[in-house]
Amino acid sequence: MLARKLVLVGGLSLLAAACGGGEGGGTDDGVEVVPIGYVGPLSGGAAYYGRNVLRGLEMAASEIAESGGFMINGRPHRFELVTADDRYLPYETATAARRILQQEQMSVILVPHAGGIRAVQEMNLNEPRFLLMAYSSEPSILEAENPLQIMLPPRFDGYQRPFVDVLMPRFGNRLGLLGTTTAYGRAWTEHVTAEWTSRGGTVGRDNGVDYNTTTDFTGAVSRALADDPDVLFIGGPSQPTALVIRAAREQGFQGGFLIMDQAKFMEMLQIVSMDALEGAVGVYPQEYYPTAGTPGWVARYYERFGEDAPPATSEVAINYQGLHLVAKAMEIAGTTTDPDAIRSSFGEAARTIDDDLRIFDMTGVTDGGHLARAVYAAHVLDGEFVAVPIPVLGPAPSQ
Amino acid sequence: MTLFLQQLVNGVALGSVYALVALGLTLVYGVLKVPNFAHGALYMLAAYVVYVMLEDVGAPYALAILASVLTIAVVGALMELVVFRHLHGKTPVHMMIAALGVLFFMEGTADVVWGPDFRPVPTPLDGVVTAFGINITEQRVLVILAAVASMVGLYLLLKRTLMGMSIEALAQDREGALLVGIDTRRVAVLTFAISGVLAAIAGSLIAPLVLVFPLMGAVVILKAFVIVILGGMGSVPGAIVGGYLLALAETMAGTYVAFAFSELIAFALLVMVLVFRPTGLFRKGV
Amino acid sequence: MGAARVKRLAALGAPLLAAILFPLVVDNPYLVSVAVTAYVTAIAVYGLDVLLGYTGQLSLAHAGFFGVGGYVVGILTSDYGFSFWTALPVALAVTSLLGHLIGLAALRTRHDYFAIFTLAVGVMIVIVIERWEGLTGGTDGLIGIPPPASIGPLSFTSLNAQYYLVLAFLVFTIYVVWALMHSLVGRTFLAVRNSEELARAVGIDTGRTHQLSFVISAALAALGGALYATFLGSIGPDVGDVPMTFNMLVYLMIGGVASLPGPLVGTLLIMGLMQALTAFQEYTMMILGPILVLVIIFFPHGIAGQGKVLFERLTGGRKGA
Repeated sequence: MLARKLVLVGGLSLLAAACGGGEGGGTDDGVEVVPIGYVGPLSGGAAYYGRNVLRGLEMAASEIAESGGFMINGRPHRFELVTADDRYLPYETATAARRILQQEQMSVILVPHAGGIRAVQEMNLNEPRFLLMAYSSEPSILEAENPLQIMLPPRFDGYQRPFVDVLMPRFGNRLGLLGTTTAYGRAWTEHVTAEWTSRGGTVGRDNGVDYNTTTDFTGAVSRALADDPDVLFIGGPSQPTALVIRAAREQGFQGGFLIMDQAKFMEMLQIVSMDALEGAVGVYPQEYYPTAGTPGWVARYYERFGEDAPPATSEVAINYQGLHLVAKAMEIAGTTTDPDAIRSSFGEAARTIDDDLRIFDMTGVTDGGHLARAVYAAHVLDGEFVAVPIPVLGPAPSQ
Repeated sequence: MTLFLQQLVNGVALGSVYALVALGLTLVYGVLKVPNFAHGALYMLAAYVVYVMLEDVGAPYALAILASVLTIAVVGALMELVVFRHLHGKTPVHMMIAALGVLFFMEGTADVVWGPDFRPVPTPLDGVVTAFGINITEQRVLVILAAVASMVGLYLLLKRTLMGMSIEALAQDREGALLVGIDTRRVAVLTFAISGVLAAIAGSLIAPLVLVFPLMGAVVILKAFVIVILGGMGSVPGAIVGGYLLALAETMAGTYVAFAFSELIAFALLVMVLVFRPTGLFRKGV
Repeated sequence: MGAARVKRLAALGAPLLAAILFPLVVDNPYLVSVAVTAYVTAIAVYGLDVLLGYTGQLSLAHAGFFGVGGYVVGILTSDYGFSFWTALPVALAVTSLLGHLIGLAALRTRHDYFAIFTLAVGVMIVIVIERWEGLTGGTDGLIGIPPPASIGPLSFTSLNAQYYLVLAFLVFTIYVVWALMHSLVGRTFLAVRNSEELARAVGIDTGRTHQLSFVISAALAALGGALYATFLGSIGPDVGDVPMTFNMLVYLMIGGVASLPGPLVGTLLIMGLMQALTAFQEYTMMILGPILVLVIIFFPHGIAGQGKVLFERLTGGRKGA
């Protein structure tokens, strides 16, 4: 009967899909192949971001392969990235992670968004155990005290005080709120509001909108400017943030911008000019980051991906650094399959990694898994990026 | 008061875009009964054509708009020729599935060709006009003028030309139109082409104000359906009034309540209107 | 027991047997979990079929009810410690009530207007879910939804146990739909679908008929959603969103509207196809789009529907159920 045949067809197509799954791992030309998982947005609205993160991982993996691999017990190893698209949906993250873990054994998975990270924190301590590389600046990730995680970016709650230190004296006491209304954006809004009011400033109504679904910011900007603010808190993904800046300048705003760490200057500069950015404070553009390893890395990035590639932002750099650190930690620990050992060696890896591969000045890893390093933000003053050092919150690195 | 006037102007500019997109949709939905969910993709492709013309070809803006309008007119016509022609007489749900298929294909192609990146589109009109303490960018002025011109043009086309009257005839009674010798197949293609032109004008002019990316038509198309139903399927004045009404409601609610709620406005408005007038604000009629 | 009856039993028995043997034969937990996802989605698609196929109205809020069902169960079990078995009836009741209230407003409109009205409602449901963070976890959704509590010796923590539980619910759903359509209520639906005016002329209260059909479809959607959330252990607002509704509509139309195997066939086929296409990553949508167009043009009754037509033409037999 046709119905039965169709059920079988359905079943067979599922089987066929299963056969498509890779049998990774194993050896290739005498070099051991180590799978590394990546579960993040590869389609949909956040795909641009997800692919940026992935590019950082790819760059590191390619460099390792091209250099002949990293050594463990005299045997060379290289990485193979196993990717899965979670469309930025936290519940998909868990499902996709389970899927790739079923396809092959891996001991490290990187997830680039807080919602997805939280979903995976529920599962990485059960069999099969794996090290969760968390690319997100939300401090709440550390509060989970997951013993098998490494959080790569700086915590975002360190930025507010130094930002206010720069902007309030320069522009004045009134802050307008125009950030994105995602959970991440609202956490920032709370921190900024608290800091600003604790310094004696006034904070206007919250005019935040969802940067992911708004295309025309004119109305929201008009409303925010009606309160005559001296500084505007803005931020969400880089490109919509640039549109907000543009709209504000078009409507005559002369004040400063306090920008969330989600937005990146080099990406914003594709849409607005340095003039428009005058008085903005945000994450330091990676291409000019004040560390010794940056220029070399930037040059290698554009050589590998071409001059027209998306800008070399910290999203690329931090994940690049992270994967090289994984290799170093595996080397030190002497294993590619024991996530606990890899995790324990991470601090030493951060301190002893080759200068050629080092972008950031790292001092180790905290007990909670946070990668400790010197952090800088940037203030646009007279058309130039001026470094604003960011004190590191939380416990000192102990590993 | 200044804020109110400023938001009024912003709302009119936004409404011009909504109205243009809704007009294209109401033609196809009202005249041919095709719930064209792929209409938003026409708007999106128009923006990409402008992007390509400006960035890769280096053409002047006016030429880019012209190229976009012509290209999307052809794409619209192809939608009818290749897909919807074969579903004439089938239920709207069948046509919805076909429209979704076309939508997936167009969004998928854009994603493959240009990637998911948000692309800015430059425009020669980067000045700001200020009057009575209100400011509006030159580009937005262009959007409003072009929308008004398109609406006048469409009205003249539908009421004063033979082609337009055939479209109206088709909307009123397809069999009757056939009986009086109208080539319904040709009129259908024409209607799709015109809807493409309207979407292309909207997409080309809005492109420099927003960021171009493959899914940019998704939110716009939902609102366009709301407007078309609000105004009454197939009603040109309905689409226009509906478009401006919605934009103003969103802008004003955003200003005086909270912008976070403005997304809700479109849908809440529709629900309220339909509860009291289940066939929309205007009677059906092109 | 005639030959026709034997054939019909075989037609039912064979796929059921295949489904029962599936996890035992296929030793791949990932595929089993894909099958479970397909089954719970199919349950919701049956709900959509009751409203669209049998009563003739398209609701684009369908995934919204699916989401509400999932969230109610998720919130009750993970935040309030309810057992799945008590949370499920609550979810069904809540969603049915919601459907009833929405129906009162929505069913003043018909056809296209009804479709877009329900589209607006569906979007509003998602917006409310996203904004009501204290209750729903906002855009991050809920995680940590526990599997159903054991009933006596039966435990539902393993994948296979969950597979069979979901399969049982699916079979139950198919039976309910079959029984419904063979009852007076079902025939009333069909009458209203075929001609509302004629139905009214014969004395049928079409408003109440539409209302009942809408509530039933919402309840089935909620059942699917509740099982989905419990099986996945988590849920997010996009589960109730417009693209999900469109997916279900595609599964239904491709499978065959108003046919008993249609929703299941369509769901398995398209989900299977999409899994197969993930190997092509970025080209998935470019390939799926034209496939949808071709299928809907050449198989207007859907695959199962076309199969039924073919079968009847080949056997020259009278129509069965």
